[in-house]
Amino acid sequence: MSNPFREELVSQARSEVCTVVILGATGDLTHRKLVPALYNLAAEGELPPGVKIVGMARRDWSDEYFRDSLESINREVSRSGHCEELWGEFRECVSYHCSEFQDAEGYRKLSERLDEIDRERGGAGNRLFYIASAPGFFDDILEHLGKAGLNAERAGYWSRVIVEKPFGTDLPSARHLNRIVNATFQERDTYRIDHYLGKETAQNLMVLRFANAIFEPIWNSRSIDSVQITCAEHFGMEGGRGGYYDKAGALRDMVQNHLLQLLSLVAMEPPTDLSADGVRDEKVKVLRSLRQWETPELVAANTVRAQYTAGHVNGKPVVGYREEDRVDPESMTEAYVALRVMVDTWRWSGVPFYVRMGKRLPKKATEISVHFKDAPGVLFSALPGRVPGGNVLVIRIQPDEGISLRIISKLPGASLRMEPVKMDFHYASSFGKSSPEAYERLLLDAMAGDATLFARRDEVEEAWKFIDHLERGWHATETPPKMAEYAAGSWGPVESDALMASEGRTWRRL
Amino acid sequence: MSEATAQFSDLGMEVPVASIGRELKRLWEADEASTNASMMNFAVYSEDPESLVRNSGAIQELTREHACRAILIGMDRDAAETRIKAWITAHCHLAHGKKSVCCEQISFLMEGKALGRLRNTIFSHLASDLPLIFWWQGELSDLFEAALYRMIDRFLFDSAEWADPGAGFARIREAAVARDGIVLQDLAWTRGFHFRLAVAGLFDDLVAQRALGEVNSVRLVANPDQRTTALLLMAWLATQAGWRMGLELDIAAERAEGCDECFTLESREGRSISVKVEWEAQSAPLSLLEISAPDCVVSVCRDGEADFLHQRLECPGHELVLRGPADGIASTDLLAEQLSRGGKNGLFRKVWPVFFELLSLSGP
Repeated sequence: MSNPFREELVSQARSEVCTVVILGATGDLTHRKLVPALYNLAAEGELPPGVKIVGMARRDWSDEYFRDSLESINREVSRSGHCEELWGEFRECVSYHCSEFQDAEGYRKLSERLDEIDRERGGAGNRLFYIASAPGFFDDILEHLGKAGLNAERAGYWSRVIVEKPFGTDLPSARHLNRIVNATFQERDTYRIDHYLGKETAQNLMVLRFANAIFEPIWNSRSIDSVQITCAEHFGMEGGRGGYYDKAGALRDMVQNHLLQLLSLVAMEPPTDLSADGVRDEKVKVLRSLRQWETPELVAANTVRAQYTAGHVNGKPVVGYREEDRVDPESMTEAYVALRVMVDTWRWSGVPFYVRMGKRLPKKATEISVHFKDAPGVLFSALPGRVPGGNVLVIRIQPDEGISLRIISKLPGASLRMEPVKMDFHYASSFGKSSPEAYERLLLDAMAGDATLFARRDEVEEAWKFIDHLERGWHATETPPKMAEYAAGSWGPVESDALMASEGRTWRRL
Repeated sequence: MSEATAQFSDLGMEVPVASIGRELKRLWEADEASTNASMMNFAVYSEDPESLVRNSGAIQELTREHACRAILIGMDRDAAETRIKAWITAHCHLAHGKKSVCCEQISFLMEGKALGRLRNTIFSHLASDLPLIFWWQGELSDLFEAALYRMIDRFLFDSAEWADPGAGFARIREAAVARDGIVLQDLAWTRGFHFRLAVAGLFDDLVAQRALGEVNSVRLVANPDQRTTALLLMAWLATQAGWRMGLELDIAAERAEGCDECFTLESREGRSISVKVEWEAQSAPLSLLEISAPDCVVSVCRDGEADFLHQRLECPGHELVLRGPADGIASTDLLAEQLSRGGKNGLFRKVWPVFFELLSLSGP
């Protein structure tokens, strides 16, 4: 049976009515991201009518307490504001189920509750499980969902799972988690979320590359000198995040998922189609092509890891990494990482991809910059003065989403002098309407069964393979590369600049 | 300041038509802190010369979300003297609380009759490489001709404003045939967007889907000024459900009973579906849509100009009550919504065959 009124109504894939079960519902992610995303979808009429939300967690909360708790945060963070009338109805769709994640009885009762919701809805229904708990509970949750039969597809009704990062802490743990997930849910029903992929500019990368005929012919080693991917954060370890971060580090926390996903989108070949697997097949080929340095010395020569020392950020004094709350005073975890990555494919032969991520940098910014080779100097190199560097295409992911292209232009006047100028496209200037939050798009996609913007099993494992080889290089040696230092509020350690300078390049100034 | 000058003072600086480009350049040079943004050429045409100031206000709002070069034209074809006056200004907004983003606006007051002046004025002031979106306000006149619409990428109109929608749509159909690729957008169709979404949402429910084959009556309550809005909604419902026009005799019988606008449709299974359209002068453009089967009623309603639609599904032992956003009332809001959605509007053209049949029946 289908709904003829849905046909051709909106251009995006249709999200289907379901019950969203959030496991780990009392946490920040649920309060600040997931429920506000669902509320905004409802406010814009994008949420399929009849969607119910069940939060499950260990705390002994009532439905009312849970709703009130969500409401107070939604007032603060909702992108579209908070409408009392609308919230009044939205909150009725929300309920709370108290259970330990290891308690089989709790899942049995959850199953009964979901059956009841289905009955009220008029029969069986779809279910979307969102695992938003601490990673230590993933195994238990998945196992118990399976034992309670909540993973099973029933008479044409799907049961899907969204898994939050971190998806493992290394390749063995990721494989273990994948085994557990795939023993419970089929791969096609598994959605490994990477919220960077839900950002407008990340999605626009494919459009920029493949819908504009001017870029693809020059998107290769013949024209491109290097690529830089930067994720700068001015935050440190506020809000108690030091405990988690000191175990993970910049490489595992950000590079393994977000930055390698961005790198894949930049480096991938055109997919055969826009299907989820069409796109993901090409992305995984990039991850498989990342060169693994053969010796610890080569790893050390192509990477920089660092911690920040005390400094100033936004005019305020801040402590060093090792003095942060919940961080080991003798920690050897990196708060900054810079990598020189080679993609060993025909297209990218000899083109370095420089990836850097750091905490307590001067500002928050994520961007990709594609640096083109200089034009042959035969015409202008004889002129007095320096010929400015080549063209740079910048794709800004956040916060000021947009695209700019640096070109060389003649300065007005009788003499021939050149300076770089920038052509700039800002989403905010051209499209006044704010982009939906990444979670809004991703939740809708999961309800519609579109996994294009989610990581597939092999993508995750290939990314971990690459990360693990760097970690081994750092630690599997008597003389591990030193932990560099940089003052909080600066643009990273001098070693990072040296990594670039050794090849005659510099980091782009953000 | 003369009365006429004061009337148009909101349009900015009056400039000679021949030096609009130069004056715009000066305007930008005077304010280095602003960013000039433009995603499209947006022409607004009205044969009411007093519309210029009103439309300038609408552009001020519209450019918050849709950066454009706005070209406003107010036409007074009955004026004895043939002349043209122009003004330029910029609408600026703080984008996300940071940068001042400005969009330029050129306004023209055209008086008297002069062959080809409208299209020439528009074509000569377009920002290059950007699409031309044209909003025609009011009745389509003979100035809506092939030389004009062949240059238009997206044509917006509001059929609810037309005294004779049949004649208006005949011109629209001509344009659709003559200008391949033109996107046609009727604000009367836009006005029903969230109603359509709400109906579709209710029929996501399995019980409602099962009841669809049993539907035997549809009741639609709408504002009499919104006949095309109402009939477009009915046409969509019938087209998507696969219902076709039924017997004329039934129509005559219903009318004899005092029904405003009644007709019979026939379902795929041959079931007769009685449709009643009722006009209420004080109601929202679309006030109520009620789809009834013997055991179930699906309804979407809007109270006055409320911001929300109430959606309800009532079947034995199964009830669903929801609330969803309602469509804008002001033309500017509808326009902004329509521009945000973009697209080719293929569904609008898909419902035309049924819509034209409904339209040919007598009105309120």
